[in-house]
Amino acid sequence: MKRGNPWLWFGAVLVYAFLYIPLIIVVLYSFNDSRLNAEWVGFTLFWYKALFNNTEMLLAARNSLIIALCASFCATLLGTMSGLAIHRYKLKVLPVLVFTPVAMPEILLGVSILLFFLQVLNFTLGMVSIIIAHTTFCIGFVAIIVRARLQGMDESIFEAARDLGASPWQTFRLVTLPLIMPAVVAGALMSFTLSIDDFVITFFTKGVGEPILPIQIYTMIKVAVTPEVNAISTLLMLLTLVMIIIAARLESNGLSEGNEKSRKTAKQAAK
Amino acid sequence: MMNSPRFLLFLLVSLLQFTTGCAPRNPDAANGGKNVLHLFNWNNYIAPETVARFEKSCKCDLSQDYYADNEEMLAKLAAGATGYDVIVPTGNALDTLIRQGVLSPLDKSLLPNFRNINPAYLDTAFDPGNIYSVPYAYTLSLLGFNKEKIGQLGLPTDTWAIIFEPKYLKKIRGRVTVLDSQRELMAAALKYLGYSVNDTDEKHWQEAADLIVRAKPYWAAFSNTSYIKELAVGNLWVAHGYSNDMFQAALDAQKTGRKFTIGYSMPKEGAVLAVDSMVLHKSGKRHDLAHQFINFMLNGKNSAELTNLIGSGNPNLDALQYIQPEIASNKAIFPDPELIARLEMLRDLDRRQRRLLSRLWTEIKLR
Amino acid sequence: MKEKRLARLLVSGPPLLFLIVFFVAPSLIMILTSLRFPGEFGGLAPITPPSDQAVGEYGFTPDAYQFFFSDFIYTEIFLKSFAVAFGTTLICLILAYPLAVLIARSRKHLRNLMVLLVILPFASNFLIRIYAWMIILGPESALSHFVNTVLGAFGIAPVTLLFSPFAVLIGMVYVHLPFMVLPLYTNLEKHDPSLLDAAQDLGANAWQRFWRVTWPLSLPGVFSGSALVFIPVLGMFAVPDILGGTGDILIGNLIKDQFLGTRDWPFGSALSIMLTLAVLSVAGLTTWFARSATGQRAL
Repeated sequence: MKRGNPWLWFGAVLVYAFLYIPLIIVVLYSFNDSRLNAEWVGFTLFWYKALFNNTEMLLAARNSLIIALCASFCATLLGTMSGLAIHRYKLKVLPVLVFTPVAMPEILLGVSILLFFLQVLNFTLGMVSIIIAHTTFCIGFVAIIVRARLQGMDESIFEAARDLGASPWQTFRLVTLPLIMPAVVAGALMSFTLSIDDFVITFFTKGVGEPILPIQIYTMIKVAVTPEVNAISTLLMLLTLVMIIIAARLESNGLSEGNEKSRKTAKQAAK
Repeated sequence: MMNSPRFLLFLLVSLLQFTTGCAPRNPDAANGGKNVLHLFNWNNYIAPETVARFEKSCKCDLSQDYYADNEEMLAKLAAGATGYDVIVPTGNALDTLIRQGVLSPLDKSLLPNFRNINPAYLDTAFDPGNIYSVPYAYTLSLLGFNKEKIGQLGLPTDTWAIIFEPKYLKKIRGRVTVLDSQRELMAAALKYLGYSVNDTDEKHWQEAADLIVRAKPYWAAFSNTSYIKELAVGNLWVAHGYSNDMFQAALDAQKTGRKFTIGYSMPKEGAVLAVDSMVLHKSGKRHDLAHQFINFMLNGKNSAELTNLIGSGNPNLDALQYIQPEIASNKAIFPDPELIARLEMLRDLDRRQRRLLSRLWTEIKLR
Repeated sequence: MKEKRLARLLVSGPPLLFLIVFFVAPSLIMILTSLRFPGEFGGLAPITPPSDQAVGEYGFTPDAYQFFFSDFIYTEIFLKSFAVAFGTTLICLILAYPLAVLIARSRKHLRNLMVLLVILPFASNFLIRIYAWMIILGPESALSHFVNTVLGAFGIAPVTLLFSPFAVLIGMVYVHLPFMVLPLYTNLEKHDPSLLDAAQDLGANAWQRFWRVTWPLSLPGVFSGSALVFIPVLGMFAVPDILGGTGDILIGNLIKDQFLGTRDWPFGSALSIMLTLAVLSVAGLTTWFARSATGQRAL
């Protein structure tokens, strides 16, 4: 049944249209020479220029970037370890702790971390609190990706390495890490994207005085909507588009390359 | 593996992360300990010229953070926001801050311009003797309306009834907005029913809530900011809002050459007076600069700039000479003494009352 | 063997520690907070009285939960949130299923592309996706004009599309659709096409093939997708906040108000705990249904 039913194609096209038309409208109107997002008046880069003159926005972008880099670094590190541990060992507690933040509504995580910082640690909310909160929910995503990669691999590679006398560390460094690297990088990129885009958790864990990008966008939407919002949205979309494409490329390349590598390593081991 | 481009990418990314640093950015550190005064103020509540002049006169930088309502400000302070030197809370929030004990007393010897303030706005119930606060500006919560339209329909413009009574509302269905604020809307309803805005009798609150729910179907929306634009373009005919916002709407309508004018006046039953005061937060580091700023803002000329810009009420007697005559004679911004008597300031509620009000508000929103 | 145990500790230790400190502890704190009195000026009242002459209530109390049940309105909001979540899940399922089937049946390269195209909108900032609908449903928009013209032809008064339950539903569906497509497609991909061929040979028509073969086999995917949509929708506050009218508040909005508006932390925490319980029940039910469904239909 490889041929497509025409009704299915029609339905699929409708759904894709539903998914993309709103975004296309946002992008289009970012170039619209009109304050209202109502009808097309003319082409202009005015809103982009206004954006770059908006110091608050630039500061917010810088802060968001810093947070995303730190959070994705920590999440990738801890998430890779989690993915490895969950795959390798029969753990009962870690999987629950790693995957629950992913499944729960974000507001719960945001609120509980807010309370924790204020009451227990007596810690002023700020960039650090956001980084920690983002790391917490990104660990799960990285773990899922890394674990999926490990599950798809041939276990005999590791056994071969061990039989040849490699220590666990050597096995990890020379065999495991290269093989899971595409998943690790994909996880890092995914965390980066999730962190830059996160709204709900940031909303609750941010401090005062430090603008963060999604919060700026939210304030603009609620208070005074101008096509500047469209402009920043377009730029953000472009950024995440690039990230996702790289991540996707790495994952699918990684699969075939990974098999290549494991065959090579096995051949060498056999020699 | 070392040659793998992917590994290089990973290295690069890690390097980037370390160089940009995972350390949090501290606003104070970023300023390098220069002379900075941290001001926590309402959106749009100080003229840019005033800021520039102050920075020149004190040879310092004014760093501003903003909030859109008192609740937001209080919530952020409760969430541990520190380092603000001067905050500009409204009466009931001031009430809370004083009771919480987070304010530093003012050193009146550093505030020679204090005598400029109209005594009518001093010695409030929550800060007798003005130990902690100095009035900055005030607004009234009142009704703004499209003069021509409302005149045509023959509706009264001096009473809250126009937003609460179905007999008037049915002529303006969908053309009315009210403030999206628990305290403000309840206060308007309580005033209309003849109670004090600080009345905490549950029965009276239920009466007010019922009044609101009865009128709600005729209202277009609950709005705190968008009503300004909607009034000025003619989509709305009546709006419950703040006097300085109405001033803005009237100005906008005039500037864009509309065929109607925006009028606004205090309803005869009375209204809420919101006096914003400058206070010193304990966690502020530059009490000296803070006093300089407060004294600077107590100077008549500086104080008048804000009034001329946004039409806010001015409690500074010395400022009156610098205020544009159309604004100074506007009774909605500078009410007559008899009218002042019918104005009330909101006081903060205790936790039981806040919970009850929150529940009533949820019901109002949902029904 | 000791090396192995050391390795295990080194690998699973740090994440475990991190999550215990920054996930488990906060959750416990939230439970504790829900059992305390609200502070006089917001926040929390101390557990022990600060001094002998202190008046008021301190310590622990089920007050917040009692307050929740004191008025039906809070339960009503929960029920509303469930209804919205259920509606959103259903619509997502109807929209996603045909697409997932198509993706599953396509050739490998086309399939990857189609999956990527589904994920891409998800990759954009979620506020942007909501904002897009503000534009489309706004009173000045082409769609609004069109709808109202049509309604006008029938003599029906103009409606506002934005700030309505309709807008909230569309927003929820739009934001969560990819979450339904992916698990469904992952499941459908694994179906053995020869089963459908066999059914056809035995005389089943297209509908019967779908209902008797494809649908039952896809149930695990349906349940995962449904859970991935239902649970986030329950806790969402941004969509009603931006696209909804004043009466369209859901549980998420109520919780946000308690922390950032009313300053009633105990009640906000109590609501969060109730939301957590709701989510856990849904997750539990879904797993149970999924298991029993696959059990019954085991071929």
